[in-house]
Amino acid sequence: MALNFLQVFDKIKQIGMGARARQESLDVTREKARRLLEAWAGKGAELRDKVERARQADSNIRCARPLDERLDASTAEPLPVADKGQNPITLLAADGSQILPDRHAALQYSLVNVGAIAMLPGSGKSPEVFTDSSLLFADELYTETGMLSEEAIEQRRDIAERRKLLEMVPDYPAPVLTLTDGPVELWGAKNGGEGDYLKNLEIHKSVLSQLQAKNVTVAGYVDKPGADLVVRTLEIAQLSTDDEFKNIRKQHTLRGVTDRWLFSFLPASSRSAVFGLQSSSRVHYTGDLALHFFYMNVGYTKFAWLVRVEIPKWVAEDATKLNLLHAALLQQCRVMGARPYPYILHRAHEIAVVKFEEKKQVEQMLELELRRAGGEVEESSNKKSAKDLPGRTRTK
Amino acid sequence: MTNSIQIGHLLRAGTAGFVAGCSVSQLEAPALGALVRAPLDKDYCVYGLITDIHIDDDGLVRQLVTAGNISPEVMHDNRERRIVPVEMSVLAVGYEQGGKISHLLPPRPPLSLDVIYLCSDSELTHFTEAGHFGYFRHILQAKELPIGEVLAAHILDVKGKTKNESWVEAATRELITLLRDDYPMLMSVLGALGDIKA
Repeated sequence: MALNFLQVFDKIKQIGMGARARQESLDVTREKARRLLEAWAGKGAELRDKVERARQADSNIRCARPLDERLDASTAEPLPVADKGQNPITLLAADGSQILPDRHAALQYSLVNVGAIAMLPGSGKSPEVFTDSSLLFADELYTETGMLSEEAIEQRRDIAERRKLLEMVPDYPAPVLTLTDGPVELWGAKNGGEGDYLKNLEIHKSVLSQLQAKNVTVAGYVDKPGADLVVRTLEIAQLSTDDEFKNIRKQHTLRGVTDRWLFSFLPASSRSAVFGLQSSSRVHYTGDLALHFFYMNVGYTKFAWLVRVEIPKWVAEDATKLNLLHAALLQQCRVMGARPYPYILHRAHEIAVVKFEEKKQVEQMLELELRRAGGEVEESSNKKSAKDLPGRTRTK
Repeated sequence: MTNSIQIGHLLRAGTAGFVAGCSVSQLEAPALGALVRAPLDKDYCVYGLITDIHIDDDGLVRQLVTAGNISPEVMHDNRERRIVPVEMSVLAVGYEQGGKISHLLPPRPPLSLDVIYLCSDSELTHFTEAGHFGYFRHILQAKELPIGEVLAAHILDVKGKTKNESWVEAATRELITLLRDDYPMLMSVLGALGDIKA
């Protein structure tokens, strides 16, 4: 048997027994968070000061920085993106997937695949789709400090997505809106490799600046966000003494409450106020690239579905771009019916995914070419070979 | 062999029939009962009748239909850009070798990715007027098919393209002869043929 169900079952029973108590405790914390939101909704300036004190105490703190809007503000759905007869906007989306080098495999290689799609809602035209595949082999798998890490390959993928969008922009009529799945911020440097991260970060920022120069509305869409950025700000709001700020990492009075729950009051199709993102990356994303975000209810009246949308400052401060983005996201989400998610992002993902059969094909082609050219091809490890053995089969 | 319209490529095949695939945007040409051919080499091609056209769904399509208003862009995207092949089941009804038509089953089937063409009017005449309706028996033996509907669609296709009324009458008489011992099938086929004339 693959699993000791007896042990798992016992644990599940224990979890079940504690469920009611945990829920009651969470309800109390949530109520506190809601009251804090109401109390601090109109005190943006005071909150900004507190966030700044928190940042001085811990530069890595991750929270929301209120701007001029009330914390509990909600903005209703703007007018449709493109009515008949109007110039349609251009929606571009890109997503990526990657094959990581596997030391147990016969061949060491990596592949970054970017799928992109261009759509002109309201035009009646068929969308255009693109795929860019980049195969990394031999020396390309190494940096100055060693083999490319999983994180470094993911960063390359993220940059490749945005580069593809930048490349596509001149071919389509303005206004252009680009979407990627996940935050705009480039993630990394959590497992070392800081030098590579900083190098990639510079490329990433350069691409963003070029998109800004082309007057593009850039956004990252985070579905089912798990962040507690605004909740964290409300925790910071309760701090006053230097000691409390010094121990800010231990101050989690609203633990368990998420922004997704906090903003569930947003009516269907509405968005929250725009917040600045306070994080360790704030020192990198400065000026017009400074990262901002808002929450949005892309669900329906009875079934709210909160998402987070990350945008750079040049979008956050442009009401026209903001409205364009708001309306376009709602329009895209509605295409998907009961499970709202931007259709164009799903399609970009669908285009980008490398299927198992395709991976096998690439490996076969590479192996054949190497053998034909007299190159060395190793065997896969015995461990991998054993794992790949077929399961038990029936003859009758 | 001129003016043939390419309607797809072969997916899988046997001597009794084959399945061809095409994209949704190529779907305008093929129709139930239409005669198609798969040229294997210069002197040999297999003929078949389209007996079914089906389009498989997938998870995204299922979700999209629940959304109600589907925009033209989304519709185009799903029909032209996504990999949703239309599959056509084709019943082998004969072959041509060295310029001679035979209504026997083909000696060997077409191969994967062979191009499938819709027969032109002259090819349709060439095939249907060869021999004496020998290919009807392949259709009548395919019990899993809606035989009456396929035959009616085929005869209607021939009638429309060749304008040969005497061929239609002769074909109907031949079917009555072939089905004289199978009254329920005869009634089914005649019922479908009756709808052509109505």
